[in-house]
Amino acid sequence: MGGFSFDLCKRNEMLVQKGLKQPSFLKTGTTIVGLIFRDGVILGADTRATEGPIVADKNCEKIHYMAPNIYCCGAGTAADTEAVTDMVSSQLKLHRYHTGRESKVVTALTHLKSHLFSYQGHVQAALVLGGVDMTGPHLHTIYPHGSTDTLPFATMGSGSLAAMSVFESKYREGMSRDEGIKLVAEAISSGIFNDLGSGSNVDICVITKGKREYLRNYLLPNPRMYISEKGYSFSKKTEVLFTKITPLREVVEVIEVGDAMEE
Amino acid sequence: MGDSQYSFSLTTFSPSGKLVQIEHALTAVGSGQTSLGIKAANGVVIATEKKLPSILVDETSVQKIQILTPNIGVVYSGMGPDSRVLVRKSRKQAEQYFRLYKEPIPVTQLVRETATVMQEFTQSGGVRPFGVSLLVAGYDDKGPQLYQVDPSGSYFSWKASAMGKNVSNAKTFLEKRYDEETELDDAVHTAILTLKEGFEGQISGKNIEIGMIDNDKIFRILTPSEIEDYLNEVA
Repeated sequence: MGGFSFDLCKRNEMLVQKGLKQPSFLKTGTTIVGLIFRDGVILGADTRATEGPIVADKNCEKIHYMAPNIYCCGAGTAADTEAVTDMVSSQLKLHRYHTGRESKVVTALTHLKSHLFSYQGHVQAALVLGGVDMTGPHLHTIYPHGSTDTLPFATMGSGSLAAMSVFESKYREGMSRDEGIKLVAEAISSGIFNDLGSGSNVDICVITKGKREYLRNYLLPNPRMYISEKGYSFSKKTEVLFTKITPLREVVEVIEVGDAMEE
Repeated sequence: MGDSQYSFSLTTFSPSGKLVQIEHALTAVGSGQTSLGIKAANGVVIATEKKLPSILVDETSVQKIQILTPNIGVVYSGMGPDSRVLVRKSRKQAEQYFRLYKEPIPVTQLVRETATVMQEFTQSGGVRPFGVSLLVAGYDDKGPQLYQVDPSGSYFSWKASAMGKNVSNAKTFLEKRYDEETELDDAVHTAILTLKEGFEGQISGKNIEIGMIDNDKIFRILTPSEIEDYLNEVA
């Protein structure tokens, strides 16, 4: 099948050595989190997508569907996170048809990490994968090079430090659903307000055995406050004193006389 | 396809213009267990005999009716292993279609792609045609649909059809009883009666399989106890 060709990567490295300034990557800042609570897993994400210093999307969806019982938050290059979660979601669906069983979180984990590893970090997707399957609730982080961690609470993205500080001080095992949601919302809000790469709203996804709730825009802490009610009006027009129209080309009138030319 | 040293097709024309391998494949289908499908006004039902080689076989492990997508199901007559290959390929094709267009694959498209695969195996090197005919039942925005696909790769849309051992009796029976206004539950009863016609032995929820799809567009395979309920309604 071929696989990834690293020729251009070698060329880029050689050019940098020769002194060429490498064009900057379009990093999409993000705060994504996940935690395990008493009955399952809660995932959270902000909704800002950036292109350098510009906010490209004020309300994008960073919590991706993988299976009815598994969801995945994505940080890094938006196209990479979308494509890789879409692809693995597709493979999981086919696997469910063939086995007749619910998908396991470790299956999604293994597919994602082996894909990312084979691309040696060039697919820049940092993911927080969470779900509840027949073996219980699971939460994992996946790094762009393909390494993974299994954790009770996790954060990724440019706002991960801000969110992690909230988790480290307030996380407890066996939290209730409301406590868990409150903590996740607090962690994401911390990222939204303290990290430039994260912003806008808080999305939350609660996964328990047999049920999942996707709470899109659970919190809207950045509403658009000032909208001018007056609208726009332009002041006094210029008075028209005199009108003259000059055609740029002479208009020739075509008069049809008689029958068409005979052959 | 076309691996090993066979770059030429094993399916070749006879002087009379027939592809003998396909004729033989149809014979293999004709000696397989009876299966049938009926399109009702508000859905489709497909059914098949599930005769196992011995009473020692665990019948819960055998499933002849398969789901291709949430709204499309399939049953076969002929060689079981061949049908498994087609089911696998069809599921993958449906998923690839969804990934490309982000909409569920229409029934006709899936049938066409499956039929294309079957045709390829009649014109490629080193392979033989599939020894199955498929009945594909689906419900999409064009309504309920029933298609039959043959080993040659030709497919037709049917109001009601049967395949396998008892095909001529079954088709005559269906022709007499078919009504376009039939509701899905009545169609299930008709399907059971048609199977009963050529059934050797006592019919029960364990030796037939029924799959159906109605207005909710979800293909369901009935459990043995659900089949028993329908059988009791018919008897």
